Amino acid sequence: MNNRIIDHPVLGEMKIGKKVPFHFNGQYYEAYEGETIAAALLANNIRTLRVHEESGTARGIYCNIGHCFECRVTVNGCHHVRACITIVEENMDIHSGKTQPTPIKDLFKGENNV
Amino acid sequence: MSELVIIGAGPAGLAASIAARECGLKVTLIDEFIKPGGRLLGQLYQERDGTWWNGIKETDKLVAQAEKLGVEITCGISVYHLNKHEHGWLVHTNHGSMQAPYVLLATGAAEYHVPMPGWTLPGVMSVGAAQVMTNVHRVKVGKKGMIIGANILSFAIMHELQLADLNIACMVLPPKNEISKSAAKPMEVMKSLLRASHLAPSPILRFGSRLLINESLCKLALRFLPKKGMSVWGIPIHLRKAAIEIVGNQQVEGVKVVDITMDGEPIKGTEEIVQVDFVCISGGLYPLAELAAVAGCPFHYIPELGGHIPQHNERMETPLKGLYVAGNITGIEGAKVAIAQGFVAGYSIAEHTGASRETAKRKLEEAMKNVKDIREKAIIQFYPNVKENRDKLYGAYQCI
Amino acid sequence: MKKNFDVIIIGGGIIGSAIAYYVSKSGMSVAVLEKNELASGTSSRCDGNILAIDKDPGFDSQMSLASQKLVNELSKELEHHFEYRAPGSILVCETEEEMIAAEKWVARQKEAGLPFKMLDRSDIRQESPFFADDLLGGLECETDSTVNPYLFSFALAEGAKKKGANIYTHTEVHSIKKSTTGDFKIETSSGLFTAKKVVNAAGIWAPMIGKMLDIPIPIKPRKGHIIVASRQQPVGLRKVMEFGYLISKFGGQRKVDPPTEKYGVALVFEPTESQNFLIGSSREFVGMNTTVNIDVIKCIARRAIRFYPKMADMLVIRTYAGLRPWTNDHLPIISHVDEVPGFYIAAGHEGDGISLAAITGKLIDELIKEKSHTTIPIEPLRYDRFKVKGVVHS
Repeated sequence: MNNRIIDHPVLGEMKIGKKVPFHFNGQYYEAYEGETIAAALLANNIRTLRVHEESGTARGIYCNIGHCFECRVTVNGCHHVRACITIVEENMDIHSGKTQPTPIKDLFKGENNV
Repeated sequence: MSELVIIGAGPAGLAASIAARECGLKVTLIDEFIKPGGRLLGQLYQERDGTWWNGIKETDKLVAQAEKLGVEITCGISVYHLNKHEHGWLVHTNHGSMQAPYVLLATGAAEYHVPMPGWTLPGVMSVGAAQVMTNVHRVKVGKKGMIIGANILSFAIMHELQLADLNIACMVLPPKNEISKSAAKPMEVMKSLLRASHLAPSPILRFGSRLLINESLCKLALRFLPKKGMSVWGIPIHLRKAAIEIVGNQQVEGVKVVDITMDGEPIKGTEEIVQVDFVCISGGLYPLAELAAVAGCPFHYIPELGGHIPQHNERMETPLKGLYVAGNITGIEGAKVAIAQGFVAGYSIAEHTGASRETAKRKLEEAMKNVKDIREKAIIQFYPNVKENRDKLYGAYQCI
Repeated sequence: MKKNFDVIIIGGGIIGSAIAYYVSKSGMSVAVLEKNELASGTSSRCDGNILAIDKDPGFDSQMSLASQKLVNELSKELEHHFEYRAPGSILVCETEEEMIAAEKWVARQKEAGLPFKMLDRSDIRQESPFFADDLLGGLECETDSTVNPYLFSFALAEGAKKKGANIYTHTEVHSIKKSTTGDFKIETSSGLFTAKKVVNAAGIWAPMIGKMLDIPIPIKPRKGHIIVASRQQPVGLRKVMEFGYLISKFGGQRKVDPPTEKYGVALVFEPTESQNFLIGSSREFVGMNTTVNIDVIKCIARRAIRFYPKMADMLVIRTYAGLRPWTNDHLPIISHVDEVPGFYIAAGHEGDGISLAAITGKLIDELIKEKSHTTIPIEPLRYDRFKVKGVVHS
């Protein structure tokens, strides 16, 4: 956990809570109590929270205050949870979304006017 | 049951809860974020006298005061709808519905997006996102970054990132397109920065004053801008360069920048890639007013206050009975103005309910005067001519 | 600037755009006057289908099939892609009574020569893994098609422009007068226009335009709500409605709870090309109000979950409400107005504006050219049918 700002010249020393274990895409990580999923993952050097449902390109936080929904993840089976405003809880099981098929768009592939 | 539900526990919402509670109202204060404070939490800048405005400490003070008075603060609540009911307002949240005769919308602001190729890569974020991650969560967003967009907000946050020991490669303008508009034109950016420089919190933001407030000198200055840019806090500020693409495979690896004309047009053959691992995009703030819209409140479009503003008067009343607004939802200004407006809204609601009417009335008048005083003295002004535009807005207020 | 045209069309929705396309294709000079933006009224607050499945066999479905044929042609003819495809559509039944009624419906449609067939439990299961286990079956119309309504409107308007049509947005009509020469003078927020012929394609606002010429038009706004759900696993590939939708549309009695009855809620599911999906529907007469009513939205959501239980976990992006231009016999008015020679009405399509836009544009073009033979008979669509029945309200 080397991404944290422990000392700060004006804000002072970071208050550190107790460690909270959780899983992201099957991997074990630790957060500090009271941290958001996005902050805990970034502190663990993880920036990619999900992939775009169609293109599969990587996505991370954008607004960090709950508006843009770029950071949506699946938490304990519940979809579309915003990682930036959700606090990590003990043994949370978090997953990135995966690429979904686009059967309707596929119908048009190869058409000239698309 | 509460008499007043306040949506948004930022500076305006917290202040309003204190005022209303002082007058004896039962108040529920809710917020979507993990803790109260809103955008105030991330703020950190030096006052004219050299002391630090620390948003976390200011929040703690307001929260302590509100809690001492018995305000019920609940975080992690998202409101998805607001509608009028026979007994008042119904606030629909992800944790059920609440009913109250009075609702205050203190939902604050969000950042304008400035899309550009590559902006969806992990490591690209709004400048406000980096601020919250750094000052509130205390996690570094990267090792070396670039800031795209030169405005008061991006300068302030650039400094905050630097304080937390993040390395900033440089600041450049956004690419010229339909969305970035004047934010991509060096002349316009220079003028807006100069307008703000006399209000700047520290000598560092006053970099522009050396260039004098004169259009032709401005132009001259831009023309002879050194290749390495102007230096602010030791960081190169390139007002004659724009980012045109953010590059990287799975995350940010660099930004393609290009020299631009005085009008923001890219100059062919000058492209280069600056290697960074994070990018902050700054497009300015707009009032977060969706709930006022679904509630049926009429709006005014005032670009100088940040965009679409719910109609309201100086008492923070909207034309819809029982619905009030305070803080950045009423137009983009600093946190101190938001706090002052919050007090106005709290006393205004208290006076309307008839609770401790005499006290409320007296305090309301004081609070309204206070808003004006604070506005005059504000050192951070995001948009020019706030006062004039406010006068225009309040002049247009009509009851419906 | 010359503002004199052969034909002026009032209203830049899907109907006005389609008329502009066909009429300008015939070589006449055309202007569209739109008080707001193109497709900013009902045409952007709807879903997008060309359906025969919910039409009475006979004239209704004949009109729909004629339109379907034209849309197929347009998909090749117009420059812009509008997400046209024809995968068919289905109705699902939740009770034995509905199954019996569905069998009758299919029998009648087949008799009329339409490609309908019954679906059993296993067919339904094949259609979507998300369907509730207790659904008994349903029926299918093979030829039904779907479009993106905004793109379809824009594609038609762009096509019209290419053929020389002028489109004036933010141009609100204030008054229409017939001059002694027989031409129409139209005062608007963008100045005076003149035209030999005028088409009222103003949808729910058609009565207000009619009033300017003392022509009462019996169209009422019938409000509907739609939920847009987030992109996720594909829920299904084609349009699904509950059989009760038919009953709700034609004002029959259903066995449902009071709010479902009150708001006329019936399931409509429509997947889009971008992999979001739309969920409807509701029907209410509550005036010109397009504010979203959360109680109606909740009722629609409950109905959707009854048919697709797993939708309870899916994310809603937004909701909207629009107004259908309703007539009391569920048919549009596509007609010349004999009292005011040169004035035409093309409005009142209720929920079938997207379905019937193409045939409407074609018919108006034929009427303007005073063709002796029209693509489909126009008798049932005449304006004076209301006078005969004595139901014109001013």
